[in-house]
Amino acid sequence: MNLHRVFAIWRRILAQFRRDRRTLALLFVVPLVILSLLYFLLRGGGSKPTVDIVNEDQGPVAGVIAQALQRGDKLDLHGTSLDTADADLKAGRADAYIYFPGDFSSRAVSGHVIQPEVHLEGSQPGASGAVVGALAQAMQSALSALPAAGPAAAQGAPFRVDVKVSYLYGGPGFDTLDYFGAAFIGLVVFFLVFVVTSVSFLRERSQGTLERLMASPLRRSEIVVGYMAGFATLALLQSVEVIVFGLYVLKIHNSGSVALIFLISLLMAISAVNLGIFLSMFARTEFQAVQFIPLVVVPQVLLSGIIFPIQTEPGWLQVVSRLLPLTYAVSGLRDVMIKGADLAWGSVQLDIAVVLGFTVLLVGAAGATLRRRVA
Amino acid sequence: MAAEYAVEVEGVVKKFGSLRALDGVTLHVQSGEIYGLLGPNGSGKTTLIRALVGLVRPDSGTVTVLGKRMPDVAVLSRIGYMTQAAALYPDLSVEENVGFFAAINGTQDNVDSALDFVELGTRRRSVVAELSGGMRTRASLACALVNRPRLLLLDEPTVGVDPQLRRQLWDGFHAMADQGTTILVSSHVMDEAERADRLGLILFGRLLAEGTARQLTEQAGVQRLEDAFLKLSEVRS
Repeated sequence: MNLHRVFAIWRRILAQFRRDRRTLALLFVVPLVILSLLYFLLRGGGSKPTVDIVNEDQGPVAGVIAQALQRGDKLDLHGTSLDTADADLKAGRADAYIYFPGDFSSRAVSGHVIQPEVHLEGSQPGASGAVVGALAQAMQSALSALPAAGPAAAQGAPFRVDVKVSYLYGGPGFDTLDYFGAAFIGLVVFFLVFVVTSVSFLRERSQGTLERLMASPLRRSEIVVGYMAGFATLALLQSVEVIVFGLYVLKIHNSGSVALIFLISLLMAISAVNLGIFLSMFARTEFQAVQFIPLVVVPQVLLSGIIFPIQTEPGWLQVVSRLLPLTYAVSGLRDVMIKGADLAWGSVQLDIAVVLGFTVLLVGAAGATLRRRVA
Repeated sequence: MAAEYAVEVEGVVKKFGSLRALDGVTLHVQSGEIYGLLGPNGSGKTTLIRALVGLVRPDSGTVTVLGKRMPDVAVLSRIGYMTQAAALYPDLSVEENVGFFAAINGTQDNVDSALDFVELGTRRRSVVAELSGGMRTRASLACALVNRPRLLLLDEPTVGVDPQLRRQLWDGFHAMADQGTTILVSSHVMDEAERADRLGLILFGRLLAEGTARQLTEQAGVQRLEDAFLKLSEVRS
C-alpha cells in the first residue's frame, strides 16, 4: 500500500466536500437539528397522561387512593364530575377518567372488594398502560396505609382488587402496532412517493428531456398533471398493497371506512409527488436530491405525532407540527382507523381539508417551479 | 413579406448576471433554408436556439418564429428541437421514446418514417441505455423529426456520429429543406458548416458575419472557412 496514493484519495475527498456546502451542512448541521428536536420532544414537556378523577365515594377509601395517585405523580390529575369527565374523554381532553362510585368504601369494608372503574380513551396504548399501572400502584400503597383495612388484611382476608376497565376506542387487544400502524400507512406512502418522484423528476432535468418537454406544445400544467397522474397511479397501487397487507395480513385495528383511508393516503401521495417536483428544482444531482430525505422526512416523522403525541411537545414546537401536512394525515388516519371516525366528524373534515389544502399548495408550487426554470 | 422568413431575430439581448450571452443579435432565416450557426463553445449558440423555442426570454429585442412572436406554445408543435446532448429516456426503447415525443405533439403517424430516416428501424426495440453514443444521437434526432416540423433546430447534431452517417444525415437534411422545412443547425465544426446554405458566425453573443461559405472566405480574403472565422473575430474584438 502506497501512502501517497492513499493520501491523494483522502485529500481529493475532502476537497470535493469543501466545494459542496450543502453536503457539509447535511453532515454537520442536520445531526444537531435532529438531536435538538429529540431533546425538546423527550425532555421538553410533561408527557404525563391527563386523567380526570370522579370521586362519588361516601366513605374515605377512594380519597386515600386518590391521594396515593397524587403522590405517585405519574398522572396529570383533575377532580371533576362524571358528566364533565365523560365529555373530556370524548373530546380528547383527557386520556382516561377514574370513577369511584358512591358505595366504593362500603363495599371495600364489607366485601373486601376494591372496584374502581377506569374509562380509557384507548387510542394510545402507551397512555392506557400508564394509567392502569399508576392506579394499581396507588391502590397497593393505599391499601397498606388504610387504618381500617390494615387489620382486616392481616386477619387473612385480603382485598380482592377488581378494576373495571372500559375503552372508548379500541379495546384490551389494542396494541402499539394498532396505534403506530395507522400513522405509518400515511408515512410509508408519503415517504416513498416523495423519494421516487424527486429522483425521477431530477433525472428528467439532468438527462435533458425536460428541456425537450418545455420546447414542445405541452403546457406546464399538462406536465405537472401528467406527472401527478403517473405517480398517483403507482401510489394508488402502493396504497392498496400497504392497506391490504396492514389490515388483513398484519391485522392492524381498523374501525373506520377503508375508502377514507385510501382517500387520505392518496392525497398524501399527490402532495408527495408535487413536493418532489418542487424540491427537485433545488437539486442539481441525484445525490443532492437524496439529501432532501433527512430534511423533509425526519422532522415530519418526529413532529407529526406519529411517535410523540403533539400535545406533549413544547408550545413553539407544536406550532411547527401544525405546519406539517403529515400531522393532519396521521391524525385523520388515526381518527378513522382507531376511533372509527367518518366524514361527519369535525376533526376528520378539518384533517382532510388541511391535507387537501397542502396538496393544492404543492401543486401550485410545482407548477411555479417549472415556470421559473424558463429563464 | 414576413412569412418569407421562418426565423426573425431582432436585436435580442440576454444577460445572465454580468454575462451578455446574447448581445444584440439580429438574424433572419428564410423558409426552406439551411442556416448554419457557427461559433466556438460558449459563444451563445445554444442560448439563441433556446430563445427560438421560448425557453429563454430576451431582456430586449424580439424573436418571431413561423410568423408567431415567441414565446408561443401553439407554434411549438411545428418546431423540432434536438438538444445538444441526446435527450432521451434511457429506460425506454427507441420506439417508445420516439412514440412519446410523437404523442405529446398529438400524432402517431411518423414514428416509422422518423426511425427509417435515422436508420434505427432495426434497433427500434432496443433500450436506449444499451445504445452507442452515435445511435443515441440518431434516436434523439428521430424524436425531433417525428412531428414533421416546419422548422428544425439542431444543436450540434452530428457530434459523435461517424462520417458516413453524417453525410447521410446531411443528405436527409437537404431533402427535407427541398420539401420546405427550414433547418437551423449549430456547430463548431467548420467542415460541417460548409454544407449549410448560409452561415452566421457568432462570438461573445454577437453575430460577426453572415453569408455563404464562399462569401465569408472572400470577405476575409482567405481560403478556408476556419481562417475566415479567426480573421473575422479578430477584426471585431
